[in-house]
Amino acid sequence: MSARSEEKKKKLVLQALLFGAVTTALYAAVFMHADLVQQLFSRGGYYAAFPIATVFVFSFFHGTFASNLWSVLGIEAVTKQAVKRPTLSAPRPAQRPRPRLRMNA
Amino acid sequence: MHDQAVEAVKFIDLTWMNVSFLFVVGFIGGLVSGFIGSGGAFVLTPGMMSLGVPAAVAVASNMCHKFPKALVGAYKRYKYGQVDLKLGLVMAASASVGVQIGIKIQEYILGRWGEAGSNLYVSLSFVAVLIVVGGYVFYDAWQISKSGGEETVSKLAKRLQNIHIPPMIYFKTADVKISLWFTIPVGLFTGLLAATIAVGGFVGVPGMIYVVGASGLISSATELVIAFIMGFGGSVKWAIHGMVDIRLTLIILAGSLLGVQLGAIGTTLVKENMIKVVMGTIMLVVAVSRALAVPRYLAQLDLLSVEKSTLSVLDTTSFVIMCLALAIGAIIILGSMIKAKRPEAAPTGTEAYEAETYEHV
Repeated sequence: MSARSEEKKKKLVLQALLFGAVTTALYAAVFMHADLVQQLFSRGGYYAAFPIATVFVFSFFHGTFASNLWSVLGIEAVTKQAVKRPTLSAPRPAQRPRPRLRMNA
Repeated sequence: MHDQAVEAVKFIDLTWMNVSFLFVVGFIGGLVSGFIGSGGAFVLTPGMMSLGVPAAVAVASNMCHKFPKALVGAYKRYKYGQVDLKLGLVMAASASVGVQIGIKIQEYILGRWGEAGSNLYVSLSFVAVLIVVGGYVFYDAWQISKSGGEETVSKLAKRLQNIHIPPMIYFKTADVKISLWFTIPVGLFTGLLAATIAVGGFVGVPGMIYVVGASGLISSATELVIAFIMGFGGSVKWAIHGMVDIRLTLIILAGSLLGVQLGAIGTTLVKENMIKVVMGTIMLVVAVSRALAVPRYLAQLDLLSVEKSTLSVLDTTSFVIMCLALAIGAIIILGSMIKAKRPEAAPTGTEAYEAETYEHV
């Protein structure tokens, strides 16, 4: 493995850990106060903003964590950078000798 | 008083079993959604109801997890160049009208024949649409596999693209130029089905493939945009009525955000017609499941006489088959991803995507 890809993987692991920690903290915050949160979020009316905003926030942190996690595990999409088509071979020069006109007198 | 009654029953106690079930189904549903653009909702809503969640709360909580999942999936697939945003917006606009028509039809049936009549209508729509559309999708996937895996534009789509009724719209990513008047019915039916069976993608994706003429890859990715827009609107409505159980939503989301990204990655690894294979298979298995639910509603309308014990067995079998549909879809996706990841299979497994993205070096 090259130093560059090693560095990239290290960065991905760090990001996965960071976003994983934030996601865990968010889940802990909601479920440790589940009754209060549930009561507040289901009041309806303008309180509807709470569940909607919450899923957006969770999507960002958990989504980024999930993306990094799959990358760390080596599960990545086939992209332009990841896959390169082998070089097309240059057109071959004509191998056969060109016909020559011979005059046999 | 009514609100208090709802309040009393809507917050179920969470056990480890409930949490594990929702997480796993969320993950599998996400995987299927990321891959074919829809799916998961048809198991999650009855699944939550089987845990004791009231129907309205189950629908609301499911929808509230669906739109952020679709957003993440759409973003991921947009980065892969698979999303046609313009097509998604046009479809979503007409689908929103379709939803309203679907609600009106439901209200009419509910008023005239009651809840059993409404359930029967939903189940029969499920069975009819899934058998006809799912059967055709599966047949098409099978034909493509036989002919070497090359996807072609349907004859219907080619004909429609040649009819120039203004305004003509060019969808860049899908590389399709078609009259707006032919995309509107597809969107309307997508919305109509979404309002009826809660899985609009089962018409939306095949509609974009066979009527508009987009590829399976683009259609399934674009469906995620439609799911986001419609899911967002629906979730706001449910949240205003205070029906979203955020705990359930977040547990499902925990699984589905992992699944949806894996499914999206999967589309770049496997052959393009695998999207049709998975979609067709799931639709046909779900059709069997819903067909088993029909006798109960016929019995409720006094159109059929069936033993209670038989109905109970049919209900359980129906739910198990529905879960099985999702599981089969996930197995096909994961199986084909593993196959494509093997070094010897790599060149054949990525043909469709590579054709657009490869660079010569």
